[in-house]
Amino acid sequence: MVSFEVSRTLKKKKFWLGTLTVPFAIALILGLNVISNTTTANKVDTQKNAKFSFNYVDSSGLINSSIARALGGSEITDSAVGVANVKSANSEAFFNYPKDPTVEIISVYGIDKGIFDNGKYSAVATQLLQLSVQNRIGNRELASLIAGKVKVKSTSFLRGKESGSIGDAIPPMIFLLIFYLVLLLLGNQMLTSTQEEKENRVTEIILTTLNPNTLILGKIVSLFVIGVVQITVFASPVILGYSFFRKDLRLPNIDLSTLNFHAVPMIIGFLLLVGGFTLFTGTLVAVGAIMPTAKEAGNVFGVVMALLFAPFWIITLVASDPNSLIVQVFTYFPYSATVTSMMRNGLGSLGAGRAAIVIAELFIFGFIVLKLAMRLFRYGSIEYSKRVSPLQVFRKAKS
Amino acid sequence: MDLGQGEPLVHVQDFQMSFGSTKVIENLSFDVYQGETFGFLGSNGSGKTTTIRSLLGIYQATSGTLHIGGAPFSPDRNINLGYLPEERGLYKKEVTLDVMVYFGRLKGLSKVNAVNWSMNFLERVGIASRAKVRLDKLSSGEQQKVQLGITIMNDPLLLILDEPTKGFDPVNRRLLMEIIDEQRIAGTTVLMVTHQMEEVERLCDRVLLLKDGKARAYGTVSQVQDEFGSTSIDIELLGEIPLSDSYRVLRSNPDITQIVASVGNTPESILKELVLLGVQVKSFAEKKTSLDEIFIHIYGDEPIKEMT
Repeated sequence: MVSFEVSRTLKKKKFWLGTLTVPFAIALILGLNVISNTTTANKVDTQKNAKFSFNYVDSSGLINSSIARALGGSEITDSAVGVANVKSANSEAFFNYPKDPTVEIISVYGIDKGIFDNGKYSAVATQLLQLSVQNRIGNRELASLIAGKVKVKSTSFLRGKESGSIGDAIPPMIFLLIFYLVLLLLGNQMLTSTQEEKENRVTEIILTTLNPNTLILGKIVSLFVIGVVQITVFASPVILGYSFFRKDLRLPNIDLSTLNFHAVPMIIGFLLLVGGFTLFTGTLVAVGAIMPTAKEAGNVFGVVMALLFAPFWIITLVASDPNSLIVQVFTYFPYSATVTSMMRNGLGSLGAGRAAIVIAELFIFGFIVLKLAMRLFRYGSIEYSKRVSPLQVFRKAKS
Repeated sequence: MDLGQGEPLVHVQDFQMSFGSTKVIENLSFDVYQGETFGFLGSNGSGKTTTIRSLLGIYQATSGTLHIGGAPFSPDRNINLGYLPEERGLYKKEVTLDVMVYFGRLKGLSKVNAVNWSMNFLERVGIASRAKVRLDKLSSGEQQKVQLGITIMNDPLLLILDEPTKGFDPVNRRLLMEIIDEQRIAGTTVLMVTHQMEEVERLCDRVLLLKDGKARAYGTVSQVQDEFGSTSIDIELLGEIPLSDSYRVLRSNPDITQIVASVGNTPESILKELVLLGVQVKSFAEKKTSLDEIFIHIYGDEPIKEMT
């Protein structure tokens, strides 16, 4: 059953068209980014090192005349003359440094060389000011420090143990990423997974050849396999881009050694993922079973997605005040519990006791909803063209 | 065939079904024995499909016993069953052979056997060249053939056919009847829900007529005809038939006049009376009431004798 479901999905052109569009788009964006970054970097280097004749007025007193001369500049005192020289093409450019360049604008004038080459004027004006200030400080390292080019490593402790770093938070948050990816990629398919049987009037034949529980579980497993294929396809350009074009893409170097994989938060994250996945899958399958068409079932998908993203509305509160009432409500309400608890697990504010309650709640609710989904499929999906209420289904099941 | 002997393959006893406060089936009992072809008859809404669905565990019965092979049906019991539901369809966007193989696998065939069986069937019904074509590219007649193939895959022990000819074109209807015939000759038990009385008379060993959730007739076809119908007489005569208390005229046209004897009269006494009245009788033939007429009697709410 799983192989039929997986192979028929993988054989569909539509599936590959949809799946490959994403990596192609990512590859295209990354490619354009590489080209753009390379071109821009080359251009900026060329432009800031460009040499041309210019006048400048220095009201700030910061400009070093020797450096200015070396770059092709000559100082004048009247800015109106400087602008007039550019207009009459007697000088290629004119820079007007104000009294306080930290708050006032440096005005740059130049002969039009086209939209891209015009950038050299502001590049040289900025370069001249930076070199002059650096020269005034007289120390390259000090100048770099003032520019804020420093690396800081902070270490915090909880009950005598090192904790609270971003390296602690990221690993458990991976489960949150997986949870979102799986549901965003497969949510709609979960919703419509039983629609095909219903719309094609196959339900009755299926119910007499296959246990509905086997069918639903088989569909979930096959969806998961398809999801893994999709995630792999989607992730491949990102991984390739990072591995081979990291510098061109100006991506930060991710140092995996700074990540701390602690067993407890990782286990909690995994259990929250499984519990949350069960709950949302069950809900989507249940909705699909009572809706007559995929189109009508799709209307409900938006609501489920809203529930999935709801905890992000209070993300600052989750980080700053995890004990507030609203965060507590989001932590324990089944449909917001997964995401809120995963965030708190990463940020270290969930706690083992609270985690145990949420995990138990998710598994219990997930199991109930999954059983409900199976029942709704069994009794609801043979009402082929009608939308049935869960109450009607139970009346049929109990009668 | 030794009907009524031994353990029935299908056993329904005191079956009741209600949806909320609405009683759909009341105290229904019947058996279907191995190797027989059983007609399950009734008008629309009489509860036939509900009974079939309950028998197959799709619905849960309110009360009563519904057994196939000595126990309630479950797909886990691996009973070799062929079911053609009233509401039917296939995975239309999939390739014909893939769908057939999928159902073959679900019915317990190995992949190789499922492929071989499917190809043999498609060849038999003349659409082997369409094996690799998507079902929605097939004509509706071709799709019906595939549906039939899936129903009889893996030589089922029991065939349950709910309105089997519904929506079928004449060619496929004939094919279906041939297949049912073949299956019953091969010893398959067939439970058939239908409105086609001619088919019932031709194929079924026993029938059950359901009305408003209650069994109104149950037995072999001739038993039902004997018990429910009266013998009608087809007469060819010159002129018009005179009025008489001895008989009632059912139908009269220039060629044939059909009458039915009133209580206390026999065909012989009626013929004698007609001759004495000077009627020139060209032919005089007794005829049992057809199932079709019995069906119309029952579902047309005409008073009819309950079977003991």
